[in-house]
Amino acid sequence: MTTKKKATRKKAPANKADAKATPAQDNPHLSPRFWKIMLILCGTTVLLELFVHRHPHFVIEKGEPATLPDMSDSVLATMSNWFGFYGVYGLLACVGSVLLAKGLSVFLKTGKDYYDGTP
Amino acid sequence: MELLNNIPPAFLLIIGAIALLALPATARKVGAIALAALGFFVITQLSEGTRGNPEFLGHTLEMLRVDSTSKAFGYIFTISAFGAFIFSWSERCRLQNTAALVYIGSALGVVFAGDMITWYLFWEMMAVSSTFLVLARNTEASRLAAQRYILVHLAGGLVLLAGILMAVNSTGSIAFTLENIHQNSTAKWLILIGILINAAAVPFSSWLPDAYPESTVFGGIVLSAYTTKTAVYTLVRGFPGEEILIPIGCVMTLYGIVYALLENDMRRILAYSIVNQIGFMVCGVGVGTPLAIAGVVAHAFCHIIYKALLWMSIGAVLHRTGKSKCTELGGLYKSMPITTMMTIIGALSISAVPLTCGFISKTLITAATEQQHHLWAWFALEVASAGVFVYACIPFYTFFNVDRGLRPKEAPRAMITGMALMAFLCIYLGLNPGHLYGILPHGEVLAEKASFYYTYIKSFDKVVTVLQMLLFSALMFFILLPLLKRTSTISIDFDWFYRKGAKLFYDAMDKTFNSLNKAAERLVIKTLLPAIAQFVIVAPATLTVMLLRPVWRESLDADEKSLKKREEELIARFSSGTFPVAYSAIFVLIFIGLLVLLGRAAG
Repeated sequence: MTTKKKATRKKAPANKADAKATPAQDNPHLSPRFWKIMLILCGTTVLLELFVHRHPHFVIEKGEPATLPDMSDSVLATMSNWFGFYGVYGLLACVGSVLLAKGLSVFLKTGKDYYDGTP
Repeated sequence: MELLNNIPPAFLLIIGAIALLALPATARKVGAIALAALGFFVITQLSEGTRGNPEFLGHTLEMLRVDSTSKAFGYIFTISAFGAFIFSWSERCRLQNTAALVYIGSALGVVFAGDMITWYLFWEMMAVSSTFLVLARNTEASRLAAQRYILVHLAGGLVLLAGILMAVNSTGSIAFTLENIHQNSTAKWLILIGILINAAAVPFSSWLPDAYPESTVFGGIVLSAYTTKTAVYTLVRGFPGEEILIPIGCVMTLYGIVYALLENDMRRILAYSIVNQIGFMVCGVGVGTPLAIAGVVAHAFCHIIYKALLWMSIGAVLHRTGKSKCTELGGLYKSMPITTMMTIIGALSISAVPLTCGFISKTLITAATEQQHHLWAWFALEVASAGVFVYACIPFYTFFNVDRGLRPKEAPRAMITGMALMAFLCIYLGLNPGHLYGILPHGEVLAEKASFYYTYIKSFDKVVTVLQMLLFSALMFFILLPLLKRTSTISIDFDWFYRKGAKLFYDAMDKTFNSLNKAAERLVIKTLLPAIAQFVIVAPATLTVMLLRPVWRESLDADEKSLKKREEELIARFSSGTFPVAYSAIFVLIFIGLLVLLGRAAG
């Protein structure tokens, strides 16, 4: 079910690009329909989270050895159990990676002929 | 059956590879596919235990150590080979087929090796045979990349050999066991570094994105499966619970994402995604609990499937269009719809979307870090799981994005068959986790999880949270897309140290030692030596003149002019080294006299 949804979601931008037929254009155009589907999917997962019981992270449960490090006073461990944590975390992870890559590109990107012409 | 049970599968493929050389092209292709299938069948029939013990250099080798770990790797190695050989039906290259069979055979040799000598021999055979898969592209770039590739692997192999020799020396046993490796701490570290070089661990990672993208279409698919996964296998054998592997693995996952974002070449993005996925496995080995080890083997298994699928589909695009860059591809979904579907399945699997094989394997590793309360490792792996969405750019840039007017034909039928096999396995394993969990080591910890019901219904919260994270990450990815304009550049990686660094080192050595050489030449050869030569002529001459001058003056009563003449004559004789007999006799006398005097003084 999920697979199918993702597939249609990916098709959306292409339809738009195709309709415009701008081969030289490098900035992809994502259609409003694509954004709508994307937002609906994101919203659905948040709504679903309301109705499921999430197993808490980093809590020593029954049957587990008590020798594990106690995380009860760790802010991060507590945060990971908050509602919507995964959505925010996924969002931040993506932004973080992109910004990190962007920042590093200043130092790391170089011309194709940097190594005497061989990539 | 008894015979098959005692033949190491490695020999089957390597001997088969040589035998196939004699056959015509079609028979050779059929033979390669049949060999992969036969290899799979033989591995299913292997009973557990240790066998195959020829003597070698006074040691008893163990060519066949069969247990659930080696069998699981054996299955996936032969399945992947089967798919790759079907895929490559339309490519004609005798060298490639032979090299690939030897390479796959050697990988199986490592996986079933019970002792360190067998392990090392097959390890080096892998390095050599895989180099031919890079060379087979037959371009200047691939020749240079192959050169760097083999140098890195030979260096890594030597480090490993040094470690193995030290371990054998200190324990007296060649057995490839945890205890043997950990006996001597220097040996342990050398072996670990040797393995990590093959695992493409940061900072030894750059050989992979350097060499794999330069290989042929078929070469890329084969290469992506074996070298790094045998390294993971040896880590599972030798270093479970080695804590240093946790941070190394986390860094690898993030490195793979950041570099993939900077890269323009699809095949290079795929190469970085290998490093990212191996990072999960290395981290899992570092955690080392039964759940983690089972997760590592499961992830290696699934990773080979979807990574082969992705290399196949990008390979099919390269085969049809001759292009593999984001800035040159786009809008292909209309002309290659089946390949598009396959790539999307591969991208969903690598992103570990529920119902694909990536989901049932990667979650085991993150669950293991959580279970052991490795807080930071868990957070890092979750970032990597969310950020893995950057690999969704593979289908996006290739098949959608902007239409660049490319209208190639759909991939050849053989290629589609190969891709379909892998795509089927992605979905099939995703829907039936029990079939994969059943062949894993430490299967008992997964007994409860091994059903569709447990994975998707009982743990529905996991499904929701994973989807939520991926979707929000995807949303952000598309919002930030304008920031990620692909450029026709290359990114500096760790290979800078041996590509530019080696040149800098060479230049520095050249400047230092050659200028030292020049200075020394000026000082010694041009100045000092002539001065000494002059001195040994002039000094005795002057001394003699000083001695003789009063004698001449008194005895000959000569004037200044004739004295001067005699002096000049004498100096000339000294510089040419010619003396009349009389002079020589006198000098000999003086010399003997001096000797006698000295002898007296000393005596």
